Amino acid sequence: MKKILIVDDEQDIVESLKFVLEASDFTCYCAYNGEDGLRLAKEIMPDLIILDVMMPKINGYKISRLLKYDKKYKDIPILMITARSQEEDKLIGEETGADEYITKPFDLSEVVNIVKKYLS
Amino acid sequence: MGKILFVSDRIDKIKQYSDILKQHEFLAVDNEASTIETVELNQFDIIIFDNAINNCKNIMKKVKSITNKPSFILLTADDKIENEKYINAFLTDNMPASLIISAINLNLKTQKSLEQLSETNKNLADSLYRLNVLYSTSSKFAGSLDKEKLLNYMIEGMDKSLSFDLTCTLAFCTEDKPVLMLNSLYEISDELLSAIKLRTILNYKSLFDNPPFKIEDIKVVKTVKYPAKHFTFNLFEYDNMFAPISLGDNFFGCIEIFKETPFTSDDATCFQTIAQQVSLPLKSATLYQEIKETNHKLEKLERLKSEFISIVSHELRTPLTAIKNSLDILSCGKCGEINESGIKFLSMAQRNVERLSGIINDLLDLSKIEAGKMDYHFANMNIHAVIDYVKTSLNGLAKEKGLNLIAEETPDLPEIYADSQRLEQVLTNLVSNAIKFTPSGKTITIRSHIADAAQIVANECFKQDIEKLSGKYIVVCVEDQGIGIAEKDLLRAFDKFAQIENSLSRKAGGSGLGLPIAKQLLEAHNGIIWCDSEVNKGSRFYFALPVSQIPSEKILIAN
Repeated sequence: MKKILIVDDEQDIVESLKFVLEASDFTCYCAYNGEDGLRLAKEIMPDLIILDVMMPKINGYKISRLLKYDKKYKDIPILMITARSQEEDKLIGEETGADEYITKPFDLSEVVNIVKKYLS
Repeated sequence: MGKILFVSDRIDKIKQYSDILKQHEFLAVDNEASTIETVELNQFDIIIFDNAINNCKNIMKKVKSITNKPSFILLTADDKIENEKYINAFLTDNMPASLIISAINLNLKTQKSLEQLSETNKNLADSLYRLNVLYSTSSKFAGSLDKEKLLNYMIEGMDKSLSFDLTCTLAFCTEDKPVLMLNSLYEISDELLSAIKLRTILNYKSLFDNPPFKIEDIKVVKTVKYPAKHFTFNLFEYDNMFAPISLGDNFFGCIEIFKETPFTSDDATCFQTIAQQVSLPLKSATLYQEIKETNHKLEKLERLKSEFISIVSHELRTPLTAIKNSLDILSCGKCGEINESGIKFLSMAQRNVERLSGIINDLLDLSKIEAGKMDYHFANMNIHAVIDYVKTSLNGLAKEKGLNLIAEETPDLPEIYADSQRLEQVLTNLVSNAIKFTPSGKTITIRSHIADAAQIVANECFKQDIEKLSGKYIVVCVEDQGIGIAEKDLLRAFDKFAQIENSLSRKAGGSGLGLPIAKQLLEAHNGIIWCDSEVNKGSRFYFALPVSQIPSEKILIAN
């Protein structure tokens, strides 16, 4: 079974993503802050990462950059969730290397479709 | 009566002349040394040199180098007159007494007239100088809106025209607290400064009552010309003048000026004029400062508003996502069967989540546009691509409502330089509005064509906008057969404030910000938007974009 890592400080959103992805037969790992997310990504080597941008400790853009510049992890597809906030705008312009972007509020079915596109 | 010096070593002549000139103050000297000494100590009107004295020419030369004032008269033995440059008149030994007296008197008269003339000249020169100072001071006043500079120009002007010993300018207009500007010739000791401050407080007591200021509150700015010398308490015995600096109800401060020698009435006029002249520019400067502060506040408010909207939108998005996701999970049936009315309410909730999310997007867009932070990605593109995209994406929605969505395209339209994503946003908004307001069974048509600015027509409401256009435009029209808009509401359709209150947009479930956003997005493309409508028959929304907006530098590169 393919492994998906979900990193978001909003527990409710993690929960709903986990529900639909598990229903589509993916194994989900969850982290609720950037630091745990980065550690878990290196530990479990997921097949895909769903990453929120604004998070405490390390933001999503930074995690994405750290993984994408590392030979070992650069091939893991990253799906970035953004809220189009002003703080995010300030971070934009830096190369993040994310493969897909999706804006809150998103369709769960869209997320599942994107995940399937990368993992089928 | 004049003061006359007689330089001669002939005793008979000295006696003769002292007799003839007895109405005058008469002094006689008989050698070079005493001549020089006497001239240095006295001011003579006339000096008579006896040509017979030893070294006469040399004595004259030396006297001339000491004083310029007296007339030089040469007494010679005969009437053979030599051309001598220092001499104003000649007397001869054999001249009768009456002739000598008249010659001396004539000389004295001429002397007096010359003195008066030179005095008048000096006064004229003084006046001219003052006028020049006043002129240059008022030119400086006209060129500045800085209060501190204006006051300094005033003091500078007074220094040039009145050469004061000290000015005390008490200003209430440059800072929150009173400022005492001391411009003085010599250094002012701390004791003297305290005395001046105390005197200021006592003199202008009423000014310090409201708001109440204490002596410690006065900020002193001291400028000293010659710090090596010190003023003493004698300063308070100097002649002084005072003038308020005010215009109408505005009181900016007052100025007091001290001088050891007495002021003349001309001095007083000059002083008052300069003090009055500075009032008007000070008032302008005050108004300018107020306008600047207001502008600054407004800018800050505008920025806060944009930031607020942005933060709120972001904060709303996350909980909205959680709600939407939960509803989606429930409605897909994975949590168990839901009955018919359950589905109805679930879809109602889903519909309203979509609506809320649309409103948040619109608010965020509008705040971005207004803050000038909207990103545009301009490129050469064809409008057909935009029309096709919107038609495809909204076809399903139209069909659901039983509407016929068609696009009538003109082939071979020229390219435009635009941001395709933003144009899709504009057209999507127009078409989805048409879908909302058109009853089933009717048709919505998207048309496009090319037109000269002169060929474009619009109703009265938008005529002014159209008249500003020039050159060729691609015009896109979305025509529906819906409920239409009353003429009085046509203009308000693009007004964001009016739309929020508009009951129509509420019923249709939009933010009401779609059209104002479309308007601003098109304006960023140098395009315009307008509409035309008949109640219960339908509306036509148009937008026009200029053809070939390729920036000139790009053409240069291409060439």
